[in-house]
Amino acid sequence: MRTLGSVVSWFMPVVPESRVAVLRTVLYLFVIIDIHLFVRDPIPLSRHPELHQPLMIESLLRLPPPSVPVTITLYLILIVGCLVAAANVLPRLAGGVVAAAFTWWAAIGMSYGKVDHDHLALVVALWVLPTVGVIADRWRSVDRSAQAGWALKCIQISVIFTYSLSALTKIRSGGWSITSWPGSSILLWAIVRRPHGLGQFLLPYPELLQLMQWFSFTAELTAVVVLWLRGRALLAAAVFWMGFHVFTLAILYIHFAPTAICWLAFAPLERLAPWLRRVKARRRERASRRSARHPVPVLRDHAVDGGG
Amino acid sequence: MGQRVRGISRLSCTWRIAATVLGIGLLLNGSLRMSDDAWPFGPLSQYAFSPSGDSTIVITRVEGLLADGRRIDLPLRVETAGISRAEIEARIPQITADPSLLRSVADGWTTRHVAEPVLLRVWLVQDQTLLIDGRVGRTRLVELASWELPS
Repeated sequence: MRTLGSVVSWFMPVVPESRVAVLRTVLYLFVIIDIHLFVRDPIPLSRHPELHQPLMIESLLRLPPPSVPVTITLYLILIVGCLVAAANVLPRLAGGVVAAAFTWWAAIGMSYGKVDHDHLALVVALWVLPTVGVIADRWRSVDRSAQAGWALKCIQISVIFTYSLSALTKIRSGGWSITSWPGSSILLWAIVRRPHGLGQFLLPYPELLQLMQWFSFTAELTAVVVLWLRGRALLAAAVFWMGFHVFTLAILYIHFAPTAICWLAFAPLERLAPWLRRVKARRRERASRRSARHPVPVLRDHAVDGGG
Repeated sequence: MGQRVRGISRLSCTWRIAATVLGIGLLLNGSLRMSDDAWPFGPLSQYAFSPSGDSTIVITRVEGLLADGRRIDLPLRVETAGISRAEIEARIPQITADPSLLRSVADGWTTRHVAEPVLLRVWLVQDQTLLIDGRVGRTRLVELASWELPS
């Protein structure tokens, strides 16, 4: 029974709700950026029904095929829904609508042959954030709850699974071999296909590229450890993975922004509001000290035109 | 500053644990057994294959013949053609069977380049780069399909 209890409390730790309130604001605003920069093609793609091949989720839910009215409606719903949800207003309703609309939007973007894998954590986040419900005092909340802890844990697991499961897929695609992917020419292949980044300078050094493959594969395979790290060790892991994403961006021109932003689920975001309050108070204090040192000229020093 | 802890009912607790187990199960199932079609529960297969040191790397492009005689590259990006390279690559068998599917690129490019001369013909081509012992070798141009736009 004690083991079951500790498993349950690992999945549902009691954490400050303000963490969820801040994360909601960041992620819902990020969705607005996402639909303009990353999954930005559903509207133009919906003009080509002949190229559409529905994903399983679209067939199971019997969603209508993408069309311009459907994608434009989704776009408008996402803009309004995200702005409302980012303010932590109507969190269940607005959050639920954004979750459904964004999942549909992203599914449309991925049902023309190319499926990206950088949205797993963000999609999970959008579905779990509304479940925390109303957070009293929002970003300044002093409440704690297991509901908030569960939502954050789900996002953390999906961030880490993005790495671990991709390592698993690499093992599977290589015929269940550990060495086939890191020993392949995949980075060379990727750089030739995307010759925009710094990677082209590495093309003459295939051995170095394979060394990098071994390094990233090992990191992905062992990423699951991060779920049990705390304090400085967790910070070090977060810095490492941010560095990893900056590196792949520089080499291959591939970003994993939707996954990277979800790393905030690990951060003590509840410290943000008190920190902002302290900064504001300090600024006010400095301003009042400055005005005490430099008295403002009094009115009677100015000539008053009494003439008529 | 006092901190309150919000309570949680047994039911609330149970459905959350059940949802977590189901979600993790679906993700593992996707990675172990499914294909991309199962998104968002499919395998994380981007760059997850293992090209050998003597494989061929292809870059798929679309070229167009303009009314002024120029044959130019029609970059396969959302901003320039309304569709990206990966989407065209995923449909190569369909396009070679029915080249009129290149209409999507021709229309997308034309509506975004109204000042350019009209497109007369489009080609689906590939730059094929050979790897030799894991190093970059020669590149050759291969034509896969062409389609004349209706006048």
